[in-house]
Amino acid sequence: MGKFVVIGERIHCISPVIRKAMAERDPAPILKRAKEQLDAGATYLDVNIGPAEADGEDLMKWAVQLLQNEFDNVPLALDTANKKAIEAGISVYNRAKGKPIVNSADAGGRIENIDLAAANDAIVIALCSAEGIPADNDERMGYLTTMLERGLEHGMDPTDLWFDPLFLVVKGMQDKQMEVLEAIKMFTDMGLNSTGGLSNNSNGMPKHIRPIMDAALVAMCMMQGLTSAIVNPCDLRLMETIKSCDVFKNNTLYADSYLEI
Amino acid sequence: MPFTAKSGKFNAKINAVEVGTGDKKITIGGENVLPFYTFDDAIANAPKVGIEITDGGLDNEPDCIKKYYEGCTSVVDMAKKAASFEGVDFLSIRLEGGDPNGQNKSTEELIALLKEVAEAVDLPLAVCGCKNVEKDAELLDKASQALEGRNAMIMAAKEDNYKTIGASAGLAYKQIVGAESAVDINLAKQLNVLLTQLGVNGQSVVMNVGTATAGYGFEYVVSTMDRVKAAALSQSDATLQMPIVTPVASEVWAVKESVASEADMPEWGDQEERGIDMEIETAAAVLVSGSNAVILRHPESVKAISKMIKELV
Repeated sequence: MGKFVVIGERIHCISPVIRKAMAERDPAPILKRAKEQLDAGATYLDVNIGPAEADGEDLMKWAVQLLQNEFDNVPLALDTANKKAIEAGISVYNRAKGKPIVNSADAGGRIENIDLAAANDAIVIALCSAEGIPADNDERMGYLTTMLERGLEHGMDPTDLWFDPLFLVVKGMQDKQMEVLEAIKMFTDMGLNSTGGLSNNSNGMPKHIRPIMDAALVAMCMMQGLTSAIVNPCDLRLMETIKSCDVFKNNTLYADSYLEI
Repeated sequence: MPFTAKSGKFNAKINAVEVGTGDKKITIGGENVLPFYTFDDAIANAPKVGIEITDGGLDNEPDCIKKYYEGCTSVVDMAKKAASFEGVDFLSIRLEGGDPNGQNKSTEELIALLKEVAEAVDLPLAVCGCKNVEKDAELLDKASQALEGRNAMIMAAKEDNYKTIGASAGLAYKQIVGAESAVDINLAKQLNVLLTQLGVNGQSVVMNVGTATAGYGFEYVVSTMDRVKAAALSQSDATLQMPIVTPVASEVWAVKESVASEADMPEWGDQEERGIDMEIETAAAVLVSGSNAVILRHPESVKAISKMIKELV
């Protein structure tokens, strides 16, 4: 098995600094966040440009080239509701370090993003939901089957669909947490890859608590076979946990300096 | 359904490290497939064979090797002769006389000899120390300086002296740094990490992950090399993508199976043939386990292993 894939989530237009930098095409703040995340151990960087209805194509192209030129073709997840923007981003994307990730498709209104990924030989994050949160794992697996079949029909390799079980917030849905973990195990048993916004579990908790909850959950998820997560790599506790779990899983060879590399 | 063979080539590859300068320069490593898996992809650079001499000259050679150096009166003569044998890609000189528990030759004396040898041959060079970590720190530092511009392999930095040797060979004099561990996979990785943290370019590092003569705990050697290649290629572990250089000679010519005379062990047969066999078997085994270069001593072993490599790659 390969190492756990950390997708850095910090280039996100919800942040005022990034939103402003994107609007003004100002490289500095975006490159700074990219470097921080890569130094901290991110493999992929997520580039969220929001809905970007007006100039999404131009913006995504700019962001892809900016990041890949600066950081040796760093692989990227292209994150927007604007399909044309994703295609534009892929048109200038260099695959030397990994395929682009389309973020994201679901089994409802966004299912066509699977077709888009297939047409562009990309990876796609496939959310196991259609409208709202799946009620149980039967529903999750139903969505998974729909999306997997869609991908296969379009000639995708099953491992290029990275299934997202939909991580749920503990404060409010504590009783559903084990179900998410069981879903991951089912994906793993089918030989599929998985990812997701894992830190959603700790939404609304005090700042000092969140890294603890996130680290505990990532360890449990990796035990179930989770292969990736979209997280903040600058969270040291989380990254130390991921690197340690990679050692236990024999995904990476232990050396005394393993936390520094 | 028709069978479609899937290529076993990897996205990752072993670093290609150039050793030496000029026409005789060699490149070690560079492959993106398992050892000799030419059916998966072409091997970027065939494994290389080095020949070893020591500062002790002829006195230090087993009787069965002495005759190949007939007429040589000095280490420099031997170096020239060794460089001329069929199949030799590089010359390795082992400064074993520096060992404080042995002859304890001075660093000055050994470095003066090293310079003479280096001037006499234009082949790529490897310099091996005396296996005493303190003395090697001093010896290999001076050797790095003396060979400036030759792009030589300095064998080797260990856990206890990597700072001195890494700084000298890797940073100050731009040689190739050998990183030596004794059949300890975690330490092999750790040493590479430490050297790169010191500032040494990972592309200028080769590994000696340890070896033994075939039959002497050799399965640990094989599993170590297998695991290194698996991490380097299938897990894309950049801290283990350094090519492996295995000094076979110093192990093989120290075991009784190679050196016991026929008079002492009549049932084992001819001593020279036995020694060559031991050296060839060990070298072939470490090559198929992933070594990118081997260092041998007997000219016949060099010839045979070089032929084996040519026929397989």
